[in-house]
Amino acid sequence: MKSRVVLGLQRSGLAALALMLGCRPRAPAEPPEPASPALAAANSTAGPSKAKEPVAAVILLRGARVMTATGEIFEQADLVVEGDTIAAIGPELTAPAGAAIVDLRGKTLTPGIIDTHSHMGVYPAPGFGAHSDGNEAVSPNTAYARAADGYWPQDPQLERARAGGITVAQILPGSANLFGGRTFTVRLIPGALSAAEARFPGAPEGLKMACGENPKRVYGNKSGPSTRMGNVHGYRDAFQKAVEYRRSWTKHHKALAAWERGDKKDDKGQPLESPDPPAHDFALETLAKVLSGELLVHNHCYRADEMLLMLDLADSFGFKIRSFHHAVEAYKIADKLALAGTAASIWADWWGFKAEAFDGIRENAAMLSVAGARPIIHSDSPIGIQRLNQEAAKAMYAGRHAGLTITDDEALRWITANPAWALGIDDRTGTLEVGKLADLVVWSGDPFSVYTKAERVYIAGELVFHRGVYEPRSDFEIGLRPGDVRGEAEEAR
Amino acid sequence: MSDYDRSGLGRRCLLRGGASLALTTGLLGNVSKVSAAAPPATPAIALVGGELHVGDGEVIKGAVVVLEGERFAVVSGPAGRARIAERGARVVDLDGKILTPGFIAADTQLGLIEIEMEATTRDDSLAGADPVRAAYDAAAALQVESSLLQIQAIEGITSAAVAPSGGLIAGQVAWIDLVHGDRSQMLVRPRLALAGSLGQVIGGSRAATLSRLRELLADARFYRQRKGAHERGQLRQLAAHPRDLEALAPVLERRAVLTLSAQRESDILAALDLAREEGLRIAIVGGAEAWKLAPRLAEAKVPVILQPSENLPGSLDTLSARLDNAALLAAAGAEVVIGVLGSPHNLRNIRQEAGIAVANGLEWERALTAVSLGVARAYGMDQTHGSVRPGKVANVVVWDRDPFELAAAPQQVYIRGRAIPMVSRQTLLRERYRDVGREAR
Repeated sequence: MKSRVVLGLQRSGLAALALMLGCRPRAPAEPPEPASPALAAANSTAGPSKAKEPVAAVILLRGARVMTATGEIFEQADLVVEGDTIAAIGPELTAPAGAAIVDLRGKTLTPGIIDTHSHMGVYPAPGFGAHSDGNEAVSPNTAYARAADGYWPQDPQLERARAGGITVAQILPGSANLFGGRTFTVRLIPGALSAAEARFPGAPEGLKMACGENPKRVYGNKSGPSTRMGNVHGYRDAFQKAVEYRRSWTKHHKALAAWERGDKKDDKGQPLESPDPPAHDFALETLAKVLSGELLVHNHCYRADEMLLMLDLADSFGFKIRSFHHAVEAYKIADKLALAGTAASIWADWWGFKAEAFDGIRENAAMLSVAGARPIIHSDSPIGIQRLNQEAAKAMYAGRHAGLTITDDEALRWITANPAWALGIDDRTGTLEVGKLADLVVWSGDPFSVYTKAERVYIAGELVFHRGVYEPRSDFEIGLRPGDVRGEAEEAR
Repeated sequence: MSDYDRSGLGRRCLLRGGASLALTTGLLGNVSKVSAAAPPATPAIALVGGELHVGDGEVIKGAVVVLEGERFAVVSGPAGRARIAERGARVVDLDGKILTPGFIAADTQLGLIEIEMEATTRDDSLAGADPVRAAYDAAAALQVESSLLQIQAIEGITSAAVAPSGGLIAGQVAWIDLVHGDRSQMLVRPRLALAGSLGQVIGGSRAATLSRLRELLADARFYRQRKGAHERGQLRQLAAHPRDLEALAPVLERRAVLTLSAQRESDILAALDLAREEGLRIAIVGGAEAWKLAPRLAEAKVPVILQPSENLPGSLDTLSARLDNAALLAAAGAEVVIGVLGSPHNLRNIRQEAGIAVANGLEWERALTAVSLGVARAYGMDQTHGSVRPGKVANVVVWDRDPFELAAAPQQVYIRGRAIPMVSRQTLLRERYRDVGREAR
């Protein structure tokens, strides 16, 4: 009987919902009208705009269902933001003096959504050849390359992700190479003019590595590797060189220290020059930073056997793999991933597009959760990133339908707390806790419903998206969307 | 407890109990063996007491739906209960559950692709330089054992318009019902439509593409009138092989639909002009900018097969892509068809796509039509498919709730009048690894 109620509610509520969201019915094929003067101003061609809502130092978000991703869900609670930080959470808080109060009764509040796997900015839209900056496919080892150096902050995919509640994303090089290069983590703030401005302050960088078919396919008829044997040799060879590189620098630092301690003269009293440093090698430097734990390893790897192989390899060189990515067979080794403390960044339901993805199942995340491992729902897609909440929902319900116990909070952690951990920023964001950054999403309803939308998105306390009111757009689309050059602003996408 | 509930519970218990792979594959194997033989007379099934969403906009509460053989024999409100006994039907009590027609996948390579990146598993595209492949009949290559079939079917996809891809004219479209392992039941109608593409297909130019298509249609007419002359070797050089020109005849005679992939407004406009001038029945596939032409598409009765989540300016052809494309088209009275275009592996997400369209303004029952009757209409298959009406093929799904919701799951899928085994390669993999991490292996 429940379903009938749901259906009835859904249908009768549509018109009301549409009004609420500011999607007024209108004649089709007319140039869309601006929803409000505020939106028109925000979306105007005048330049990178800031929120038009008065910015208060203190905000009280009142009366939402608060899903904290810490294990606790408040059916109705308040949340206070002071500056960029969550200052208080709980039922019926007293508004601090001067606080701007936002009534969120009937809404749901969650942490900002975090995607561990995005190529926005390096594979932007439009997909021009001129824009293709994600794979430095000139050699199987380009550990020297950095995604930040290829990042285009005007990618219109970014604002669509933001409208889906994404606040933070890891931008990775592609998977053509064994070592694709360094990843970096961005906050989806509007108006960033460079990778540096978008970068999440203090977030560690990562190293993108790739197993399996892609490097084989790209280099099979070139330099190699042409087999998985060659792939693994490539990793071992590179890390061995990194060990030696690190050793040469350790040796140099020792020699330098000795020289500085000594009297800087040889036996015959001639002045002794300081020892020459070894040559810098930016690829080996990246790998040396993996060995020292400074860079987190993000490893594109589909098959269970290959993941186990990589865990062994990492073990033998003394580093950790922070997260496997795609990992469609992670459910086969859920216990071993739990033991290794390696996360699995996965899709809800992608499978079969290549041989190594043939065994994908929708219960992957749920089975990892049940085994005590750390599943993450990632997008690897500029469409999927717009609804990572729905992707998590599909994975959660698949688990429940198979009889696995997955709570709403657990599924929410797949797109908040767990990715924050994988990116090394879980002390700053990923849950709703006092002292953490106010990275927040206000949802129109249950975030696991297909009909729910992100209504407001805050990054570090700043309102960066407000549906129907403030929807910032990148430079790229200025003047290209219907109505722009007729002096009208676009209402919605 | 109803018969239906017991059978459902029994199956779940079997799987939860850690059934061995041999047992579960045995189940699947038996079923395919049975269905591979000529369908024996099965007792009629009466689905009683559900909330039926017919597919054409009508909703019937306390519905009585009798499946007899491969067809719906009775579709009515509670009054129809009287007719159950006369049909000797086994009753399945739905207790208010949602009942919808099986969903239909439009313009898909289901059955033609197993693994995209492995050429040896693909038969969706005729390789070669000639962009005109009108005679290419993909139905001949259908893989009835494809793992994709059950993976979609147990999620409520019961039929598909299987289209080849590539070139200016990719080839012939076939209509299938997702009866795994049985070609005779699966292939409902070959050659019901032709699939083609606009855009920069010929010579890297959209203008050249249009011109080639016009030339092709003209020569197809010319050839049809002068076949004899051609056989005597008295005809000039033609725009395509006679076999391909002949394959275009049903399109010229309006017996078959020509589907045209087109995203940009100018291409859709060109397709509308072409259809009007040549008197063709067409459908637009993709249609990112179709909303700009909504009244014209409605007036010309040209359906648009689109994927609602596609809102990116992935190329300059889709600059005006927007999430309410479907809603704007429907508001203008155009026929909207919702599909999962591209890879066939997750056609099952058609219901999420429908939900996204609803979230962006499309009325719920219109969205249901867009994944059922609307698809059948677009391909001219609505006499037998697309809605739950007496005489139509009995493809129907029992849902535990609103099927567009992510929480929903089919309780039972019926294809051609039979309850299909709710098992796929993926559910079997899941069961094999269910206990990883729970106990030592």
